[in-house]
Parts: sequence; C-alpha cells; structure tokens
Amino acid sequence: MLKKFQQEYATKNVQFILIDFDGAILESDQAFLNINTKGLLVDIHPFFECFFSIKDMLDDELIFNCVHLVVDQKEFVTDIKFLKEEEGILVIISDYTSHYVAYQAIAQTRNESIINGELITIKNAELEERERFKNIFIRNFSHELRNPLTSIISITKIISNTDLTSEQENMIQFLQESNANLKLLLDDILSISMISSGRLKLTENVFSLSQLFELIEFTYKTKAAGKGLKLEVKVDKKIPDYVEGDRLRLYQVLTNLLDNALKYTHEGKITLNVQFNQKRANKVNMRFEVLDTGIGISSDNYDAIFESFNQLNNLNDNPGSGLGLSIVKGLLNLMGSTIKLTSEMGKGSNFHFDISLKQPLQTTNPILKNKKVQKSSKIISDKKYRILLAEDDINVQTVLFKLLLNTGHFYIDLVNDGSLVMEKLINDEYDLILMDINLPNVMGDEVTRLIRDFPFKNIKKIPIIGLTGYSFEDDFASFKKAGMNAVLSKPFDDQDLIDLIFKYV
Amino acid sequence: MQLSKKIVVLGHFGVGKTSLIRRFVENSFSDNYKVSIGVHITKKVVEFEVEDTMSLILWDLEGTDDIKTIRDAYLLGTHGVVFVFDVTRPSTFQLLNSDLDIVKAKLPKTPLFVVGNKVDLVVVSELETLFKNNNIKTNFLTSAKTGETVEQMFLELAKLIK
Repeated sequence: MLKKFQQEYATKNVQFILIDFDGAILESDQAFLNINTKGLLVDIHPFFECFFSIKDMLDDELIFNCVHLVVDQKEFVTDIKFLKEEEGILVIISDYTSHYVAYQAIAQTRNESIINGELITIKNAELEERERFKNIFIRNFSHELRNPLTSIISITKIISNTDLTSEQENMIQFLQESNANLKLLLDDILSISMISSGRLKLTENVFSLSQLFELIEFTYKTKAAGKGLKLEVKVDKKIPDYVEGDRLRLYQVLTNLLDNALKYTHEGKITLNVQFNQKRANKVNMRFEVLDTGIGISSDNYDAIFESFNQLNNLNDNPGSGLGLSIVKGLLNLMGSTIKLTSEMGKGSNFHFDISLKQPLQTTNPILKNKKVQKSSKIISDKKYRILLAEDDINVQTVLFKLLLNTGHFYIDLVNDGSLVMEKLINDEYDLILMDINLPNVMGDEVTRLIRDFPFKNIKKIPIIGLTGYSFEDDFASFKKAGMNAVLSKPFDDQDLIDLIFKYV
Repeated sequence: MQLSKKIVVLGHFGVGKTSLIRRFVENSFSDNYKVSIGVHITKKVVEFEVEDTMSLILWDLEGTDDIKTIRDAYLLGTHGVVFVFDVTRPSTFQLLNSDLDIVKAKLPKTPLFVVGNKVDLVVVSELETLFKNNNIKTNFLTSAKTGETVEQMFLELAKLIK
C-alpha cells in the first residue's frame, strides 16, 4: 500500500532514462518528461549532444547542475547525472525548477544592485571629471582676464584724472562702471568655481555684527534710494554684538540677497530682518530674512534660481551674472545652513536662512574698533624709495609705472624675466620688489625662495609683494610660504597697492 | 550525421552573453536584463556553402565575477570559447588577462575569442586608449543591441573550429 504512494510521490521529479552506448533510448520512466522512448537521447534537447564527447571519458558518473531543458515548450531547470552501467548508460534527470527559480530571483537582485552601483560610480567619476575640467578652465580663464582688466581699470583711472571735456567725462564714467561690473562678474565666477571645487575655506574671526549691519544699511539705503525704494534693517535686540564667524562670507551672502531684491523690486521696500532664535552652549542661532515687494517667483522656479547662470527674467533692466543666488546657496552650505524661499507672484519674496555663530566669551574687542585708523599714514613722508618691478606683461608694466611715478615717491627698475631678478639685486639696492608670479623662465614664487635663501642680509630681507592673476586662497598661502610679505590679486585697487607698498618700505 | 561543435560563451555577469546568443540565433534583442543561472543550451545550424553546414551548440554559461568558479563539467568537449566583457563596466575587463589565463588553463588549445560587447554605448576611438592602458586585446567589438559584428564573430569562430 505505502509503496504505491511512495512511487506516486517520490519519483515524480526524477526521471530515469536508460540508453545504449550509441545514445539510443532503451527505456524511460516518463516521470515528468514525455519523450520518444524509441528515439535518440540527442533528440530530447541540444544539451544531450554533449553525450558524444563524454561517453568515452565516462568512468563512473558525471553530473551537470542547473541545466535548462525545454521539452514540449515547457522549461525545466534540472540536474542531470550520467551513470555507466553494464546494460548501457543511465541518465537521471532531477527537476529542481522551483528551487532554481528562487535562486535566480536572489541572483537577479544581487547582480542588478552590483551593476547599478558600478554604473553610479562611473557616472559620478564622469561628473567629477567634468567639474574638475570646468574649474581648471574657469581658473585659467579668469587668470588670463585679470592682466588686461588690470590695465583697463588703471588706465581708465589715469585718464579720468586728466583734463576732459564733459562728454569725455561721461564716457569715462560709463567705462568705469563697466569695468567695475566686469570685475564683479569675474569675482562671482571665481567664487562659484571655488565653492564648487571645495577650495573655498571659511576664515573665522571675532567680528561685530552691529558694525556689519551699519555698513549694509549705509550702502544699501543709498542704492535703494537711487531706485526710489525704501530699505529697512531690523535687528532683534537679543542679537549679540560680537560673534565668531566668517564676516566676509556672511557679508557676501547678505549683499547678494539684497542685490537680488533690489534687482527685482521696482516699488515698495526691502527689509533685512535679523531675529534671535535660540542660544545653546556658546552658540547663537539667528534667522536672517531679506524681504522685498518685488515681482515674486513662481514656486516651479524655486530650485532653478539657485543654479549657476540662471536668470529667470533675462531682461535688459536685470543685469548681473545670475550667479548671486547660487553663491548664496554654496556659501550657506559651507556655513552649515540652507537658503529657503517663500514668494508670491506680484507681491514679493522672502529669502531666509538660520545660522549658528559662536559667541566669544570676551564681547568687546578693542582691536576691531581701532582697525580703521591706520591707513596711508606713511604717505606723508617725502622720502623716495627704489622699487624693482619684475613683470613681463607690457600693459601691467605701463600701468604700474604711471601709477607709482605719479605718486612722486618711487624710482622704478624693471625686469621682465625671473632669471634676471637676482642679478639686479646683487648690483643695485632696492627697498621693495613687486613680483609677478607668472614670470618667464623662473616663476615669481621660485625667485622669492631664492631671495629668502640668499646669504646677504640686505637682499634676503627685501620686502616682496606678489602680484597674481590667481585668486584662490591656497595659491596666496603658497606664495606667502615661498617668502612673499603680501600678495595682491589682479586687478587690484591702486590705493590698496600704494598702501601695501608703504606698509613694507 | 551533421557536424556538431560546442561553443561556450562565458564572462562576468551582465556583459550580454545571453543577448549575443539571442541576437545570433533569433536575431532579436531585449533591454530587460534577466540573470542567467546554470547553463542554457541552444542550437544554430550555420551554412558555409551549399550542403556545407555545421550545428553550433551554444552553451550560455552563468556569469560570474570569479572565472575560477565555473563548473568544469560545463566545459567538457568544448570546441570554441567566446569570452565576453562589457566595454562600459571596467570591473568586467580589469582582470581580463588573468581571467583569460584561467580559461586557457581549463581549456588548453581551444580557440578563444575575446569580445567587448555594448559598443553602441561608447565612442570606439576612446576605447582604443582604454584598452591600451589596460593592456587588452580583443578579437571583436560587438553590440547585441544593434547586431553589430555579432553574426560575423560567431561565423568566424565556426570556421576556425570546423
């Protein structure tokens, strides 16, 4: 009785086929494959073609796992065993379809996830490479632009100080505004490049928030009045006077937001609102809001406006690089904050962010308050100084000659090749060197290292001011490390250069 | 009886082994990736000239990132090998030469074609540099998707093992 059931259930998934040594089927129990019992084994499925190559090497038994067989249009996943017997070869086919199908599902998930991971890594590497290329391009491009821009700005200034007709004066004013815009654009592009390449580092110092707000209020009240707008700066009384953070970058964020508000507001007012959120440990959390009564932004565009080079209203009366808000976004990310926006079309926008800044234990800082005092104090002196100018760009040479000679305080010698600097220093005495970085033959920073290693004190100690088209902070740091006393980025402000020279001579 | 030769197609998973065979046998292609497990065997009769035909028994082996783990039984009686890699995924060809050494050790003296698949997804001139840097030599660059050089590759191998 039990044997009948055993036969019924136990053998359903295993089929026994006996063949002769030439592959002709002698017998089959037809357990699950309905085959022609008078045919050849190879007629069942192409898999069995292998029989001819294995029959001679078959000593005892041979097993093939996980073989897909399609018989009568039905697919089975099987293990197939060949056993050598006296009567012929016994072929045992075990149907493990359900087991292998479950295994296939696991393998599918595993392989898909590995492949997707690889493709994401490749995609990321491509994006990084593209980003890196973009940053190198921007860096070199802006460096190349700085020399001609320095010349244009300085020559415009020199011309503006000559006798001009009123028409010429108007044109010069227009030229100066265009120069200033071009310089701003260049600075914006560099900021974006530095933020996205991760080269921008925050510099944290103690500074006065109230002085920062005063400066902003003064600057922007004038700008707003020029457009017939009101500007209000509202600061919560609980906001501390002194905090520790990157003043320059916070200033950059707020001025970019205010410039954006000014650009898109044609009537009404702009408000900078600073609220106290909370204080934890020695950190103060504040909310900064810039509100305007401008044209507003549709919620569909909330993300787009923070992308680089994206101006929604690209009209003539909205000039600018379109980089301001993306700089804001990048800088705030660096500061651990996020820019947020609510806006209503036709009514205005509210850009806001929360930021935590350290509150220093000592809340008054005499150094900060006296910082403005020391400017240009040495210029009163009548003494004349000898300056060696190492610069190969003829336009920059011309500009610096005119600028420095006009002050009446300097004699200037020129070299246009890095390899000639040392010879000049040995033969003549100088009070200061103005050193371009990208000099032919020997770079300015390399020359500086040679000077600082020189055995004679009078040469070794000469003050060196570096002039560079590069404007990344780590470049500056490396030039200073080479031994430069100060580094000035082109295009520089004339007065900044003169002040710096007087600081070191 | 018709001449019958066994070709095994192997390589890492997801490189398009099944798709190459499907393109060659059925002249079709599907973008849906279905992982093969074990082995699928199909037969294709190729005709060199009138009354000069050969049965190719194509063994599509489960892809693996470790070629050493291929079951030896699958390789018994092999006449030709196609080793496929994916030109878009470096992981499938970074160890190509050592993978090939393993295959050659398992199947000495068996004709072997190295095939870079999915060329429709890349710029071929860029591949040359990539292969040079990785010291890779291929017999064919194919695309199962477009059919590019798929049939040519199998027929060349068939002629070689005839």
